[in-house]
Amino acid sequence: MLRFVALRLARALATVIAVMTFAFVVLRLSGDPAQVMLGPDVPQEAVEAFRRSWGLDAPLWQQYLAYLGAIFRGDFGVSMRDHSPALALVLERVPATLQLTIPALILKLGLGIPAGVYAALHRDSLIDRGVILLAVAGFTIPSFVLGLVLVLIFAVTLGVLPSGGSGTWVHGILPTLTISIGGIGVLARFSRSAMIEVMGQPYIRTAAAKGVKWRNVVRGHALPNAAVPIVTLVGFMVGSLIAGAVVVETIFSWPGIGRLLIVSVSNRDLAVVQCILLLIAAVMVVSNLVVDLLYGALDPRLRAQPTT
Amino acid sequence: MALADILPRTRRLLPAGLPVSVALSLFWLAAMLICAALADLLRPYPITRMDLAARLAPPLTPHHWLGTDELGRDVLSRLIQSVRVSLVIAFGATILSAVFGTTLGFLAAKARGWVEHAVVMLADFQAALPFLIMALAVLAFFGSSMPLLVGLMGFYGWERYARIARGLAISAGAQGYAAAVVQLGASPARVYLRHILPNVASTLIVSMTLTFPEIVLMESGLSFLGLGVQPPETSLGNMVGFGRDYLTTAPWIMLAPAVVITLTTLSISLAGDWLRDRLDPTIR
Amino acid sequence: MSRPLLLEARDLVRIYRSRRGLTGAVTEVRAVDEVSLKLRAGETLGIVGESGSGKSTLGRMLLGLDPAQGGTVLFEGMPLPRFGTPIWRRLRSRMQMVWQDPLSALDRRLTVAAQIREPLDIHRIGTPEERPARTASLMTAVGLRADQGGRYPHELSGGQRQRVVIARALATNPALLVCDEPVSALDVSIQAQVVNLLRDLQGQKGLGMVFISHDLKVVRNLADRVAVMYLGRIVEEGPAEQIFAEPRHPYTQALVSSIPVPGRPLDARILLQGEPPNPAARPPGCAFHPRCPLAQGLCRTRVPALRVPEPGRAVACHVTAGAQSPVAA
Repeated sequence: MLRFVALRLARALATVIAVMTFAFVVLRLSGDPAQVMLGPDVPQEAVEAFRRSWGLDAPLWQQYLAYLGAIFRGDFGVSMRDHSPALALVLERVPATLQLTIPALILKLGLGIPAGVYAALHRDSLIDRGVILLAVAGFTIPSFVLGLVLVLIFAVTLGVLPSGGSGTWVHGILPTLTISIGGIGVLARFSRSAMIEVMGQPYIRTAAAKGVKWRNVVRGHALPNAAVPIVTLVGFMVGSLIAGAVVVETIFSWPGIGRLLIVSVSNRDLAVVQCILLLIAAVMVVSNLVVDLLYGALDPRLRAQPTT
Repeated sequence: MALADILPRTRRLLPAGLPVSVALSLFWLAAMLICAALADLLRPYPITRMDLAARLAPPLTPHHWLGTDELGRDVLSRLIQSVRVSLVIAFGATILSAVFGTTLGFLAAKARGWVEHAVVMLADFQAALPFLIMALAVLAFFGSSMPLLVGLMGFYGWERYARIARGLAISAGAQGYAAAVVQLGASPARVYLRHILPNVASTLIVSMTLTFPEIVLMESGLSFLGLGVQPPETSLGNMVGFGRDYLTTAPWIMLAPAVVITLTTLSISLAGDWLRDRLDPTIR
Repeated sequence: MSRPLLLEARDLVRIYRSRRGLTGAVTEVRAVDEVSLKLRAGETLGIVGESGSGKSTLGRMLLGLDPAQGGTVLFEGMPLPRFGTPIWRRLRSRMQMVWQDPLSALDRRLTVAAQIREPLDIHRIGTPEERPARTASLMTAVGLRADQGGRYPHELSGGQRQRVVIARALATNPALLVCDEPVSALDVSIQAQVVNLLRDLQGQKGLGMVFISHDLKVVRNLADRVAVMYLGRIVEEGPAEQIFAEPRHPYTQALVSSIPVPGRPLDARILLQGEPPNPAARPPGCAFHPRCPLAQGLCRTRVPALRVPEPGRAVACHVTAGAQSPVAA
């Protein structure tokens, strides 16, 4: 088990460093931030001075090492727009994003998994059909279309909910729904098929044939086994949750990380974009790690896998 | 005539075993392909032609069947062009991603050792960042252009092909036909291109039907955010993005492309599911 | 024995390492342990052993498919080139293999004619116009009808598929053919036909053949000499008729006695006791001693060397080989 954890930790660390390198390479090589920040009509001396003060005149590898060193010291640089530390700027927006994503995740898990399990146990019922329909919709309707349609219905036509902005919990309803609806369907369909597959296994039939109560068969045998694939999917969902937040925050002018990312990206604000990239990568790596470890805990076979 | 009377008869017209939903999907996809191929002929107006006398005209206005936008440009013409642009990007990207992923997968299977580790690392890295976020960073800093967009989208989903191709190539080489051909003295190129590729092709095509709609969604999402296809060119997502400002006054500008995106991805999923059941050797 | 030496293996060793569990303890399996053998042109050598005896690994090593950790393989006096190199690939036209499972050894997406022709394409034998005719004559030689060339492997029977594999292996007129359990996946009724085909082709073409089987009966019909393997080592080797008439090693004796002979009562069989051999847990001393009816003290501690009790034969047994001199390498 120790070896398993150590291996996963090493891989997680390697991935974070790879993301850091990627961010650095793409963002540094792609354009000249001095030109972008100062505009085209600035004298050459001013551009040089800007470069020196931002360390952009050193060779690339020196910039990279300095960058890695700074990151490990917790220094993510300073926003080029308003000269405040990038990390503070980003962290300031984290609560707003969490206000959307955590309720959305709870909705997805709390509605998606029970609906899927129920649908699997009552196949061809109304809920079963609803789950399939919702899953297909969740997969095919892009979130920006869904968000705009919800605005059209609830804000423009009915006028019961605000179309954008933040402040009260009422403002959060439409964005949260937009992020979660598709995910509920996808998770429900996945739980449904995982459950159906497990229910068809010989050990379930054996347990049922031995006279174990049906309720106990489902609780004791089917659910724990169906949990393994479901946990994996939940790990992947964290990524889609973040990507969803970027789009949804833009639609609803929600002051979270996603909106900050889009704004910083259009302003070429290197430090902030890097900081957000790393933050997202760290969240993804940690959630993947948790899934891996949960997976190991749920499925004893994986712990004893030969590594050659 | 009631719908119920028509349905059984149309069902009889279909080839045996083809569900109505799949038939409709295939029909819609065929229509989209024709749209994309013949966009120049089908468009009633050039996409930038402004009819200032008929700005924000609602749908079903004569000469502008889907209405016009804030500059009086014909929505139907722009929609047809958008279908072409979005499909071309998605096709190009799907093929790129399949070729890139399959090549890396075969490479990993052939070379093993550190090459394999590097490919696995790369796939891990891809999984660690949501693709949209990574694409945003790249596009914003390089500026958006059509080749860059296709190239970038071409990285979407490569790791799936790589994983499949590697797994199948290793199992083919372990004791099967591939090992036998190697033992005949065949060069690696012959082993992989003449023997392994045709054998794994159906599985790869199955994954392509999964990636294609996701790439359509990804491109339209980026264009919606203003970072994909740039004006004056137009794509489905880009139309939704600009139509958003007129959501209250002229919702058709945004709804028309939104419906097309949804129907297209839905059709590919339905048709893809059906194709998968017929093609996938692991199911049979 | 005036025929030239075709293939020679000297002290071949193949070790597989596998890591078990999370502790990371590495287990070593000596699949092939200091095996030496010789094969002359036009001669057939049978290699017999249970599963896990290392006979298949040995077969792969003789073709250079599996690298040796120790020892060398000489083909026509030259050491085998490294696996996958252009020289190794070119050498494939001289040495070929017949696989155990013909269905998995054939590409299910190509017609059998295309697959029989493939070695000709690879090694550029004949002009492209001549190759279809050559393919057809190969098919006739292995007893297939020419019109079956357009079929796909799954459309043929198991015996026909193995004929396709044999035709493909013989397409380049190789000097050496290694057959790894070529009939064990086939119906018993078909086995004899394929064995006879291999024997006939071997005789006609003057092939040097290594025939690997777990079944002594099959080997008896076509081998000039037989080597018996047990847990990675050759325990007895000699001319086929002598091995069958007068086996020396207790393991060979048990194997030979298990072949039913008309007129001999079944209870004359020597029944092997104890666990079947496990390559991961090789007993010390003579690997066979836990199952050997003749085992003595020495057998539990010292590995017996191959000794030569009479010219042309070799036995690795402390008890039955006597005190003759060890075999010269």
